[in-house]
Amino acid sequence: MRSIQTTIMGFSRYRGREGHWIFVLHRLTGLGTLLFLIIHILDTSTVYFFPSLYSHAIEIYRSTPFMIGEIFLVFSVIFHGVNGTRIALFDLYLTSRWKTPSQRTSARWTLAIALILWLPAAALMARSLLANNFNL
Amino acid sequence: MEQPIDSPQVPVNYESVAWKWMRYSGLLLIPLAWGHVLIQDVLVGVHRIDINYVALRWATLGWRIYDFLLLSFAFAHGVNGLRQVVHDFIKDEKLMRRISWLILVLWIVISAIGATAIVGGVRID
Repeated sequence: MRSIQTTIMGFSRYRGREGHWIFVLHRLTGLGTLLFLIIHILDTSTVYFFPSLYSHAIEIYRSTPFMIGEIFLVFSVIFHGVNGTRIALFDLYLTSRWKTPSQRTSARWTLAIALILWLPAAALMARSLLANNFNL
Repeated sequence: MEQPIDSPQVPVNYESVAWKWMRYSGLLLIPLAWGHVLIQDVLVGVHRIDINYVALRWATLGWRIYDFLLLSFAFAHGVNGLRQVVHDFIKDEKLMRRISWLILVLWIVISAIGATAIVGGVRID
């Protein structure tokens, strides 16, 4: 248990600024997406195993809290992808970019690109939420 | 003294292969996962998705292959990521080994369920 505490303390107290924040965000968005993915594989599988249950699953996804969650899920997938591309490119081809100054700059760029890609998607999904659940 | 960041002597073992695989599968998941999310969540939307929609989609073999690749790569990528995160929190090697087995079983069971559904397809009575 103590090692778990040490790790959590380390994650929250380490002052690595951009590189640290984006590391934590990468893990949170990854775990969040995985949690959804597990649920999503199981609910989609009902079309084969229990076809009559599929409409119940879809009904839950159409509820307002889940549609709001879906907007954040899309952010997670976009951010995790943009930052993952950065990690892959730096690790495989541009290792010198991991030095602190360029790492900080690239972390800011990553967040900016992810937000720019997410906002139009979020707007379309918010419009669908308002149109379908609030007749707006 | 400045150490070069890239060390040429990386041993080829399970962890170093998994490390590389996370990067290559991640790059592959950009078109796969983003394409899926863009079409289903953003453009189509959950209000236009029902069992007939799934049946129509899976009537095309290409989409079944697409979904099969997505299931294989996204879920394996995610589960290995989970294992890596858990490893940072668990220092007890014996316990970690047990958790790794549990994660492996979880991965196999859920992958098998998903793959069965994709191969079996929609059963509308």
